[in-house]
Amino acid sequence: MFKNYLKIAWRNLAKNKGYSAINIGGLALGIAVTIIIGLWVQSELSYDNHFENKDKIAIVFQSQTFNGNTGTGPAIPRPLEKALRDDYSSNFKYLIMSSWTNKVYLKYKETSLYKSGNYMQRDAPELLNLEIIKGEKDGLREINSIMLSESIANALFGTEDPIGKVVKVRNQDDLVVSSVYKDIPFNTTFNDTYYIIPWEQYLASREWVRNSEDEWGNNSFQMFVQVADNVDMDKVSTTIKDVKKTLNEDTAAFNPQLFLFPMKDWYLRNSFKNGENDGGGRIKYVWLFAIIGAFVLLLACINFMNLSTARSEKRAKEVGIRKSIGSQKGQLIYQFLSESFLVVVLAFLVSLLIILISLNGFNDLAKKEILFPWSNVNFWLISLAFILFTTLLAGSYPALYLSSFKPIDVLKGTFKTGKHAGLPRKILVVVQFTVSVAFIIGTVIVMQQINYAKNRPVGYDKEGLVQIPTYSQDFEGKYDLMRSEFLNSGAVIEMSASSSPTTQIWSNRSGYTWDGKPVGFQEDLAYTEVTYEYAKSINLKIIEGRDFAREFATDSNAILINQTAVKYLGLTNPVGKFLRDDSEENPNPPLKIIGVVQDMITSSPYEPVKQGVYVFDKHGNSSYYNLRLNPKQSASKNLVTIEKVFKEHFPDIPFQYDFVDAEYGEKFASEERIGTLSGVFTGLAILISCLGLFGLTSFVAEQRTKEIGVRKVLGATIFNVWNMLSKDFLKLVIISCFIAIPIAYYVMNGWLEAYPYRVTLKWWIFVLAILGALLVTILTVSFQAIKAAKANPVKSLRTE
Amino acid sequence: MLLQLNKIFKWVNSGGQRVFLLKDFNLEVEEGEFISIMGPSGSGKSTLLNIIGMLDNFDEGEYNFMDESVHTLKEKHRANLYKQYIGFVFQAYHLIDELTVYENLEMPLLYKKISSSERKALVADMLDRFNIVGKQKLFPMQLSGGQQQLVGVARALIGSPKLILADEPTGNLNSKQGEEIMEIFKQLNKEGVTIIQVTHSEKNAAYGSRIINLLDGRMV
Repeated sequence: MFKNYLKIAWRNLAKNKGYSAINIGGLALGIAVTIIIGLWVQSELSYDNHFENKDKIAIVFQSQTFNGNTGTGPAIPRPLEKALRDDYSSNFKYLIMSSWTNKVYLKYKETSLYKSGNYMQRDAPELLNLEIIKGEKDGLREINSIMLSESIANALFGTEDPIGKVVKVRNQDDLVVSSVYKDIPFNTTFNDTYYIIPWEQYLASREWVRNSEDEWGNNSFQMFVQVADNVDMDKVSTTIKDVKKTLNEDTAAFNPQLFLFPMKDWYLRNSFKNGENDGGGRIKYVWLFAIIGAFVLLLACINFMNLSTARSEKRAKEVGIRKSIGSQKGQLIYQFLSESFLVVVLAFLVSLLIILISLNGFNDLAKKEILFPWSNVNFWLISLAFILFTTLLAGSYPALYLSSFKPIDVLKGTFKTGKHAGLPRKILVVVQFTVSVAFIIGTVIVMQQINYAKNRPVGYDKEGLVQIPTYSQDFEGKYDLMRSEFLNSGAVIEMSASSSPTTQIWSNRSGYTWDGKPVGFQEDLAYTEVTYEYAKSINLKIIEGRDFAREFATDSNAILINQTAVKYLGLTNPVGKFLRDDSEENPNPPLKIIGVVQDMITSSPYEPVKQGVYVFDKHGNSSYYNLRLNPKQSASKNLVTIEKVFKEHFPDIPFQYDFVDAEYGEKFASEERIGTLSGVFTGLAILISCLGLFGLTSFVAEQRTKEIGVRKVLGATIFNVWNMLSKDFLKLVIISCFIAIPIAYYVMNGWLEAYPYRVTLKWWIFVLAILGALLVTILTVSFQAIKAAKANPVKSLRTE
Repeated sequence: MLLQLNKIFKWVNSGGQRVFLLKDFNLEVEEGEFISIMGPSGSGKSTLLNIIGMLDNFDEGEYNFMDESVHTLKEKHRANLYKQYIGFVFQAYHLIDELTVYENLEMPLLYKKISSSERKALVADMLDRFNIVGKQKLFPMQLSGGQQQLVGVARALIGSPKLILADEPTGNLNSKQGEEIMEIFKQLNKEGVTIIQVTHSEKNAAYGSRIINLLDGRMV
């Protein structure tokens, strides 16, 4: 019987090729979108699943409060390690101090690489489930060892056996390769840990780290833990809450709260408000896209329902015959569901093809490495369930509708669907266009917000500005030389150095005093050390006062502050006033404010600029050279020259550079991805809806052929007929717009609220969306309407 | 007694008025009868046939078919009953366009859940009997009207029904084709199948053993 059903279904599909193409194509698009989104969601949810003990692993977080503003993050001080090991060790299976993930130079013979990795304590290979390819798992035992990822080992050593070979790190430390581990998978937090060096080496090679042993205020490190097997992570978290506060009086004023931030939340729920995890983060995008996927599938299923029921008059006769021969309603429902099943299976096959073609593009867009799970049994089982679900979703209504025809009505040949038979169809069209219009509005607003933030003045000139990282000992004491060399080369017209890149804040400071400082005020200032000509090299405007200048010897104790800092510190006429850095054991000279610079965006472009100070770099602590390229030459020519000069002085160091405007652009990457993806999905949603509308119009036109013929004989123009056919659909779309607009307004308003610097919603966006939807509808409907209107009436009347 | 209609009323409401399609209608049909129903358009012929065929409901009265009281049965039982005992032949043939001749014939057997080997045998018999073996792979649209109606009759017959209901079976056929179909009916009737046909043609009506004339929903 089933075979018979499939046969008749197949012949029906083959007979109405246009209809089948629209139906299968639309559904395939919908399914493809849903599967791709499904794979994406799965990949997001399985982030860090690589680590066997995901549920037991955490990073220690600290929140501190400055003047009522609570900041939360993974930065902790070194003495915490001893405190936890001494008094709380039974709670932890592993406790691992770690540096930040930083790029360093790795060199073997002639090959030199600039790659990121960590300094970590000895249990790291266990915690990270490192899969050792060569060498030993306990690869951090010796202080002068280094563990390399497979890709780095291959790049450095090629076919040679890396074990026991010496790698020069930072052009300074000779470390012996103890083991090679398989690259940590892309879909994990540690995907950029290409090397691991013993923590002891970190201490040995850096004085400031060694000196921080008892510095509770120096929050410059990370600590990863795996809790003991029999303990509850939440309990441990509560236990260690006040450790720092109790042990250190100096920082107690900031109310330092420690807690364990579990690995399962690192990626998706990493948003904190007032020291509490508010459950936000990427998870909201996971939800957003899951909802989009569900809606796109719904749209495709609605097409299927609409087209199937619209064609019902053609199938009515068959229903009548089958019923008169003895088919029961249940059997007919089963038959029509089998037909839907066939269509869904075909659509599924087509969608696999679409996915195959588009997955790479999607990966690029979404910055993912999703592979199609061909060999995953679960995927196919889920797909089967999905096919059945879609069959039911798309097929139930047509099946119930078609199987309810009375045989005597349809066999008499007088069967016409009643006046209200089209109502559910109309409702479905309204649902489709409501979703589409809401998507359009949402996408436009996301794009607007991105553009709005992009066009926000950054405060300096990021075009033609190049930065070179210089955090290696080789650069020490070479700044003046390099500056003159670069300037002489003609490729650079101005240059400075700074302790952090212009696009980021790397340090924050507190503990200054100044005249008029309110009692108990705990300031929090962005802190950057800069050289002469910093403002000039990046074109940062001096609003008041002056820049650091070589002719004033006292400028080594001078400071620039930004506009926000003026207000923040409560200063009037700030120039000439002093900030004092007055710890008793270390009586620094006061810092004289010599100028106020324009606010520049250093962190999020969606947030207000943070109050910041620029201190003269006395110790050569620079991490970046900032080079203003010669605008009279092409950037590529300038770079060739710069590289040549660079190589003359640092032959062993790979030449690394970033364009500041590109680095700044990275700040928009996440929002832009969301924008592009939602743009793509909106386009597809509209395409699917239009496919359905197109199919529907062609049926309506066909149904009304006789009417159109009569009207034309009686004098209707092509425009009259077009108007008659289009009007009904346009009405539906307008209704959709009025439902979609308040929904979109509400949702997007909520989305925008997360951004302090945001675009205001303007009425014309909504008008634009309505016009867009109408235009698309008119174009879609007109093709069929005009075709029907132009048909020769004599012909259509003769067929009756 | 094959079937019995007792005081059957059937009406529709039109513009607030009750229009009777059948009014106080009584009929008894014995097994082996060949009945022709005649009457002008709108006299209730088709309605009567549909009620007998259980495709349509009536508003009042009793209908007994082979000692089952049809008016008390649920739709499912009713479908089982007519699936078992009744075959339909339509004026417009009503073959399924997407199925071949062979598949059209096979379809009623599928609904009766007859095994595949038996289906093959039965369909082969029918093709043979009506001389359409050579056409079994064709689709209805590829056949002439007469041939289509032949398939229609074969389909009605394949489930070995006790009763065949034919609504103007020759209405769309030319006289020669029509005669052919009527001859087949006559032959079937001889073999014991009860036949009730609706017809406009005196000539075709004459094939029957009894003629019922209808006017405005009543027997005259």
